[in-house]
Amino acid sequence: MKRKFAAAAGMVAIASLSLAACSGGSAPEAEADGPVTLTLSGWSLATTPEFQVLADAFHEQNPDVTVELKEYDAAEYNTLVTADLAAGVGPDIITQKEVKFVTTFQEGGQLMDVSDVELPEGIGGASSYEVDGTAYGVPYRQDKWVLFYNKALFDAAGVAYPDGSWTWADYDEAAEQIAATGTAKGTYQHRWQSTVQGFASAQEDTDILSGDYAYFADYYERVLALQDAKAQVDFNTSTANQLTYQGEFGKQSAAMLPMGTWYTATLVSQQAAGEADDFEWGIAPIPQLDESTTGTDNTPVTFGDPTGFSINANIDGGKTQAAKDFLAFAASLEAAELLAEIGITPAVANDAVTEAYFALEGAPTDDLSKFAWSTGDTHPENPTSNKTASIQNILLDMHSAILSGSTSVDQAITEAEDRVANEVGLD
Amino acid sequence: MTTAVTEKAGTTKAGRPQPSQRRRRSKLTLRNTLLGWSFILPNFLGFALLTLVPVVTLFYMSLTNWNIFGTANWVGLANFERLLGDNSFRISFVNTIYYAALHIPLTIIASLGLALLLNNKLRGVAFFRTAAFFPYITSIVAIAVVWNLLFSPEYGPINEILRAIGIANPPGWLTSSEWAMPAVVIVSTWRDMGYYMILFLAGLQTVPRELYEAARMDGASAWQRFVNVTLPCLRPTMFFVTVMLTINSFKIFDLILVMTEGGPGQSTLVISQFIYRKGFEENQFGYASAAAVALFFLCIIVTIIQFFWNKRRNA
Repeated sequence: MKRKFAAAAGMVAIASLSLAACSGGSAPEAEADGPVTLTLSGWSLATTPEFQVLADAFHEQNPDVTVELKEYDAAEYNTLVTADLAAGVGPDIITQKEVKFVTTFQEGGQLMDVSDVELPEGIGGASSYEVDGTAYGVPYRQDKWVLFYNKALFDAAGVAYPDGSWTWADYDEAAEQIAATGTAKGTYQHRWQSTVQGFASAQEDTDILSGDYAYFADYYERVLALQDAKAQVDFNTSTANQLTYQGEFGKQSAAMLPMGTWYTATLVSQQAAGEADDFEWGIAPIPQLDESTTGTDNTPVTFGDPTGFSINANIDGGKTQAAKDFLAFAASLEAAELLAEIGITPAVANDAVTEAYFALEGAPTDDLSKFAWSTGDTHPENPTSNKTASIQNILLDMHSAILSGSTSVDQAITEAEDRVANEVGLD
Repeated sequence: MTTAVTEKAGTTKAGRPQPSQRRRRSKLTLRNTLLGWSFILPNFLGFALLTLVPVVTLFYMSLTNWNIFGTANWVGLANFERLLGDNSFRISFVNTIYYAALHIPLTIIASLGLALLLNNKLRGVAFFRTAAFFPYITSIVAIAVVWNLLFSPEYGPINEILRAIGIANPPGWLTSSEWAMPAVVIVSTWRDMGYYMILFLAGLQTVPRELYEAARMDGASAWQRFVNVTLPCLRPTMFFVTVMLTINSFKIFDLILVMTEGGPGQSTLVISQFIYRKGFEENQFGYASAAAVALFFLCIIVTIIQFFWNKRRNA
């Protein structure tokens, strides 16, 4: 009797497992006519309100279309979205968090051609989504790198504020002068490779696909000199103590901070919440390679990658037009103003957008800050190529080797060039 | 001697079962087999879906150029040829061996030493055993952050102490390409020794007391008792610990990722991180699979050598 019961239980277990295996969930097809629901991938929704702002504004204009947010972990965003796309359960609209993954998705046949989506004139970063002349995404946000500076620390040291005319030599001099007074470090360049390589590639008007990295040398020598002069925290101390740029600038340990414009909203909110000290600060254009691009009558050269939206190539046919409409809306001046109001730097700007951005309570109000935020020849840090991710990894190794002091600048650059030639193989 | 052939009920004179009996028996065999399978099936399904299939797929993927999307095109051994010529893979391979060569003996010495110490009847021995085990259950990230601070070349307490005892130029630890790997090994040894100490403690309980007494009667010193009694009796534990340590050393990943990210430069890049970079950062899953297969065979070969060596010593 017991054996029979055991056999029956075993068979039931097999049957239920088999049934479970066969009962794969199938998503209900969206109706082509009538209300449409689009899914949009995002991250850290509680602290990244831009997705909800765009979704709500678009729904208000198009009551038949609802944009549902699909949240992914911020740190593993690309891996998780990639896995979902590969499994055929990706979102209808894919937020392109990092440009270097665009080609991976495009070559994998995951992105729809969106060349017919109309973009406003002067929008930045659109070329980052183009592969062989075809657009596979549209930018809605483009942060650029600027120079944040603490007016109180400059005053205390008796050093003149940046006025838009600075080259890197002026920046170094000011950093050393401030550090010499002992009130604070002159500047803080964060550990990221962007803080050196991004400026070098943009201002030398080249990119990392060139395979020739001698142009990094001067930029690294300059940073090492600042470290030696104790004008900024050295790379090793920053790594060992896991320093944050928000802490270094917000707590007034450093008078200057080269950083992306996203930091404006963070600093404003941290000052309001008491997480950062209360001090007056401003934004200046990033120092330039030479005087040909300095001054407010010129366009400063900087870098920054856009953030954009693409459409899943496997989207239900009935939703395609709604998705394209959403992309056009997200890239528009109208959406730009909404984004600016919450402290996001949109990919397109006019005076109204700039005013909306600087109307944020706690943001600087001086003209140079507005100029630095709204004006710039912004080069992409990551060129759109399937080799970018591999090259960036090699350049990251070079970066840590140089700034930790374990390898000389020239030797590290030569090693990186050899590795790129051997391991990546440039055309 | 004659063989008695007993004619059982239901068998023919030649000893063969009758057809009805055969049917009944084969039905019984089938039922028993199915019953057996049904018992292991839930576990086996989980193992098959989550381990066996991915591993077999990994071997297949290593022979393709799959980049997660689209079809996996067969490229034969091209990925393995590329691995042979890939300088970064060579560096990661050498670094992994270097890590293992330092980590395995250091951990065995430290954990065995701890086990011998805490095998004595001391006051508060339970507390010390627990304290020694704590690092093993502490978050890797927390360990990495704290040790990074301790190793800080200018302001870290380790170098402060070294300077205080007269070493003018203490190592740069995690910021030096020469010292980064030894620093990581120190941390991983500190972390792992509590776990292996428990295994050695369990092994020490199996050493017969009378052997020690006999050795003492023969006038053996403490060292002679350790070498001639403790170590031989601990051989099964030592073998298990060595095999586990070897495999764990070869697949070291998390600690290095959070402590150094493979740096400075490539000085602490290990095979697992190479696989992670190629797969999850660069989407070259075919190539990453080939590197994973290489790591698999490295583990297998070293483990087989250890098994043979152990067998010979037992013999």
